[in-house]
Amino acid sequence: MKKVLFYIVLSLVALSFIYPFIWMVSATLRPESELSNLSPISRNFSTSNYRSVLEKIPIGRAFLNSLFVSCSITLSVLVFASMIGYALARLKFIGRELIFMVILFTMMIPFQITLIPLYVLMVKFGWTDTYQALIVPGMISAFGILLFTQYFKAFPQSIIDAARMDGCSDLGILFRIVWPNSIPALVTVGIITFMNTWNDILWPLVVIRKQSIMTMPQMVTLFAVGGQAPQVGVQLASATMLAAPIVIVYSIFQRYFIASMARTGLKG
Amino acid sequence: MKKMNKYENNRVGYLMGLPYIIFFLLFVAYPLIFSFILVFHKWDIIGPMNFVGFVNFSHLLHDSLFWKSLGNTLIFLAIHIPLQIIIALVIANILNQKIVARGFFRAAFFLPVVISGVVVTMIWQQLYSQETGLFNMLLSKISLPKIPWLISTKLAMPSIAIMATWKNVGLYIVLFLAGLQNVPVSLYEAADLDGATGVQKFLHITIPMINPTIIMVLILSTLGGFSLFIEPYVMTGGGPMNSTLSCVLYIYKQAFYFNHMGYAATLGFAVAFIIMIVVIIQRRLFETEIYT
Amino acid sequence: MLKSIKSFLIPLFGLIFLSESISLCAKDNVVRLTYWPSSNPEEIELATSIVDEWNRTHPYIQVDMQPLPASQSSEEVLFTAVAAKTTPDICSNIWPGIVPEFALANALVALDKFKDFWDVAFLRTTKNILESFISKNGHIYQMPWKGNPIMMEYNVRLLRDAGIFKPPRTYAEFMNAAKELTRDTDGDGTIDQWIGIINVNPVWWHRFFDFYSLYIAASRGRTLFENGKVDFNNEYAKDVFRFLQEGFKKKYFPMGTLQGNQFLLEHVAIQFVGPWDIGFLEKNKPENFEYDFAPLPVPEGTPEPILTYSDPKNIVIFSTTKHPEEAWEFVKFLISKENDLQLLKITYQMPFRKDLDIDPAFKKYFKENPKTLKFAKQISYTRGTDNIPQLKEIFDAIAQAFEYCCVYGQQTPEDAIKNATEICKQIIER
Repeated sequence: MKKVLFYIVLSLVALSFIYPFIWMVSATLRPESELSNLSPISRNFSTSNYRSVLEKIPIGRAFLNSLFVSCSITLSVLVFASMIGYALARLKFIGRELIFMVILFTMMIPFQITLIPLYVLMVKFGWTDTYQALIVPGMISAFGILLFTQYFKAFPQSIIDAARMDGCSDLGILFRIVWPNSIPALVTVGIITFMNTWNDILWPLVVIRKQSIMTMPQMVTLFAVGGQAPQVGVQLASATMLAAPIVIVYSIFQRYFIASMARTGLKG
Repeated sequence: MKKMNKYENNRVGYLMGLPYIIFFLLFVAYPLIFSFILVFHKWDIIGPMNFVGFVNFSHLLHDSLFWKSLGNTLIFLAIHIPLQIIIALVIANILNQKIVARGFFRAAFFLPVVISGVVVTMIWQQLYSQETGLFNMLLSKISLPKIPWLISTKLAMPSIAIMATWKNVGLYIVLFLAGLQNVPVSLYEAADLDGATGVQKFLHITIPMINPTIIMVLILSTLGGFSLFIEPYVMTGGGPMNSTLSCVLYIYKQAFYFNHMGYAATLGFAVAFIIMIVVIIQRRLFETEIYT
Repeated sequence: MLKSIKSFLIPLFGLIFLSESISLCAKDNVVRLTYWPSSNPEEIELATSIVDEWNRTHPYIQVDMQPLPASQSSEEVLFTAVAAKTTPDICSNIWPGIVPEFALANALVALDKFKDFWDVAFLRTTKNILESFISKNGHIYQMPWKGNPIMMEYNVRLLRDAGIFKPPRTYAEFMNAAKELTRDTDGDGTIDQWIGIINVNPVWWHRFFDFYSLYIAASRGRTLFENGKVDFNNEYAKDVFRFLQEGFKKKYFPMGTLQGNQFLLEHVAIQFVGPWDIGFLEKNKPENFEYDFAPLPVPEGTPEPILTYSDPKNIVIFSTTKHPEEAWEFVKFLISKENDLQLLKITYQMPFRKDLDIDPAFKKYFKENPKTLKFAKQISYTRGTDNIPQLKEIFDAIAQAFEYCCVYGQQTPEDAIKNATEICKQIIER
C-alpha cells in the first residue's frame, strides 16, 4: 500500500514535468475560447494555428538556418577541440601548460564582459546578418578542449606508438585511431555543443536582424515578443514547431543526452 | 632518434594548437581588451568614440536601475538555488534506489532541460496568466483567490525563479545521480550495522560525500542565474516596475535600445566582478562548513 | 555515423549557398536600388504596387523592395544596419526622432543638396511641417512623407447603450462616461467591459500613443523641449498623468494583457489610435459594428481646435548609396500625387500634403471614406517629436514614470513628472 502511494506521488511529480508540453500541443490545436480548459481533449481540433504560423513567418527557412549553424558548429568543435585536446594530452611542447592555463581562464570569463565587444567585432568585420557571425565565434569551445584533454590522457600509449611506427602522422593518429575509440567523448561534446547552439537566443538576437538568416528560437522569440501574433494559439504553435525537433531527437537518444550531461558534471 | 621525435612533436603541437591560439586572440583576448578600453569611452557604435575617463563608473554607482537589476538577480538566486538543490537532491535520492521504470522517471524530469528556454517561457506565461491561466483556474476551482503571478511586483521574480527551477532541476538531478553513484556502498552498509536511519544516512553520509557535486551545482546555478535573460525578456519585458529586470536584460537594453556601448561594457565588467565575489563567498561558506 | 552526417551536411551547405548566389546575378548598366518599406502587410502591399509601377516605367533604374526586417522596433534594425554599413539606398519608415543621430554619424544624404529639393518639398508640404524637420546644422535629411494623427476612436453602440450620445470631450466627461461603460456584463463578478484600453507595456514608443498625444492635446501643441531644454514639468503633463492614474486606479482601463483586439470584440468602448485602424476594422468588423472618431480628451477649458501627435514617418536616402541622383528620383516618385492616393487607399494613412482635405485629387476618396476625412482635417493640427538625439531614452524615462505613477499608482503625478524631468535633464547632460 505504501509502495503504491509512493509510485502515485512520484508519477504525479513526473507528470508535472511532462504535462505542460502536452497542454501546449493541445492548446495549439484548440480554438482560443477553449484555451483555459484543463483537459487537453477537444472536439474542435484544427491545424489553422500552424497554417497561420507558416503564413506569417518563414519558419522552415529558420529551421534550416538553425540546423546549418548548429551542425557546422558541432562539427567544427569536434574537429578543433579534439585536435587541441590531443595536442595538450599527448604531445610535449614548450608553452603547453600556458595554453592549458589560458583555456581554464577563458572558461571563467562570463559572457557578460565579452558580449558587447564581440558584437562590435562582428560589425567591424561586416558580419552582422551573415552566417559567419553565428558560426565563427562558436567554432572552438574551451569546454570541449578540456573534456577531450581529460579523455585522451587515459588513451593507451602503446596503440599510439604502434600507429606511429606504421608511419602515421599525429593528425592521422587522432582521426583514424583515437576518434573511433573515443565515441563517448565525441557524443558528449557533440550533444552538448549542438544543444547549446540550437537553443541559444541572445547571440542571434544581437547579430542577426535579417529574417532570412534568423535562427529558429530567435524567430519564435521575436514572433512572440514583437506582437506579430496576437493569438496565443498561433504563438504556441510556433513554440511547438521549435520544440518538436529536439524532443524527437531526445526521445530517441535520451540515454546519451543524460549520460553526456552527467559526464560534464564530473569532469567540468 | 629520441631527440628527433621530441622536436617533431613540438612542431606538430604548435600546429595543432594554432587554431585555438588564433581563436583565443580574436574572440577572447581582443574582446577583453577592447571591452576594457570601451569602459572609458562614450560610444554609440555609429559615431566617433569619445574618451570620458571614469564617467561610466561614477554613473554606474548612481544608476538605481543597475542596482535594482542586481537586487532582482539576487532575489532570483535566493529562491532558485535552495529550491533547486533541495528538489534535485530529494528526487535524485529517490531515483538512486531500486524502483520500477527508473529510466522513464529520469527522462521525464530531464525533458525541460533539452527544450529551448523560449518554449518553456511561452508555456509558463500562459500558465501564469491572470484571468485565463491554468494555475489561477485551478485555484478558483477550489475557491481560493487568484494569485497575481506576473502582475505583482513582489511575486513576478519568484514566479520566474519557480519556472527556472522547473526547467533546470532535471540537469541537477542527473548530476546528483552521478555523484551518488560514486558513494561507496560499503559506507551505507557500515551505517546499517550501526542501526542508522535513512535520514541519518542521508545527512551524515550522502551530503558530505557529494559535497563537491553540491558546490558545482551551486556555482553552475549561480552563473545561470546571473545570465537570466530570455525569461524576463519574453515574459515580462523586465516589468512590472522593473521588478524582473535582470542584469543581462539591463545590459542588453543599454547596448541595443540606447546604444550606450561604453556604459554597457562597464556594466558587463561590474557584473563579472560581482559574480566572482559571489562565487568566492559561496566556496568559502560551503566548502569549509562541511570539511571542518 | 560520420559518413551519414557528411552526406547530409553537404547538400545542406549547397542549398544555402545556391539560394544566396541566385540573388547576386545582375544585369549590366542597370542601376539597382534597394528600398526598405515598413513590414506590415498593408505597407508591403503599397510598396509592391509602387515599385512595380516604377520598375515598369524605369527599365534602367530598377528598385528592389525588401521590407524592414522584423524585430522589436524598426529603430533597432536601422541602427545595426547603419553600424554595419548595410543600409539600403532608400527607406520610407523613418521615425524623425532617430534622424539627428543618423545625421551626426554621416549616415544620411542631405536632401537639400538636390537642386529641386525645396521646390518639390514646398509644393507638397507646408512650410511649418518642413521646418520642424530641419536639422540644427541647417540641412534637411528627411522627406516628410506621412503621418497618423492620434485620435479618440469610440464604439457608437456601446456609448449609446450607456446613454451617451456625444463622445466625451473633457477628462471629467470621460470619467463620467467611464462609470457607465466599465462594468460586469455577464454577472460573474469580474469586470469584462471597460471604457478604454491603454497599453501597459513600459516600452518607450508606446508612450507616443497615450501620454505624448494627450500631452500635446492638453498643452495645445507643446513638445517635451523648449529651446533645446527639457521642459515638461508643467500642469499639462501632470493633468495627463492624473487622468491616466485615475483611469487605472478606478479600473476603467484593464490591467493585464488581454487576448485579441478588445475594441473589435466590443469589450472596450474607446481607444486612442491613428487612421490605420480604419483599415483593420473595415476588414474584420462584424455586422452592425459602429465606430467613429473624435479629438482626444483634454482638461477643462482647453480651447478648440484640439491638437495631437502626428506619428510621422519620413523618407531618407542613406549615404551608403552609390546612386544618390537615381534614389532622389525614386523618392520624388514615392511622394507623387498618384502614390499619395495609393497610400490613402491601401493603408488609410495621411500623406503630409498641403490642403489634403480640399485637394480635388483626393475628393472622391474622402467622399467614399468619410471617416478618414476627420484625420485629413486633423493632420494640420499636429506636432511631431523634438530633434534630440537622446529621444529614445527620454521616452523610456517617461515610460518608467508612467508605469510607476499611472499604472501602479506608486507615485503622485507631481512627483512622477518632476522626477522624470530630472532624469531627462541628466540624460541630456551625459
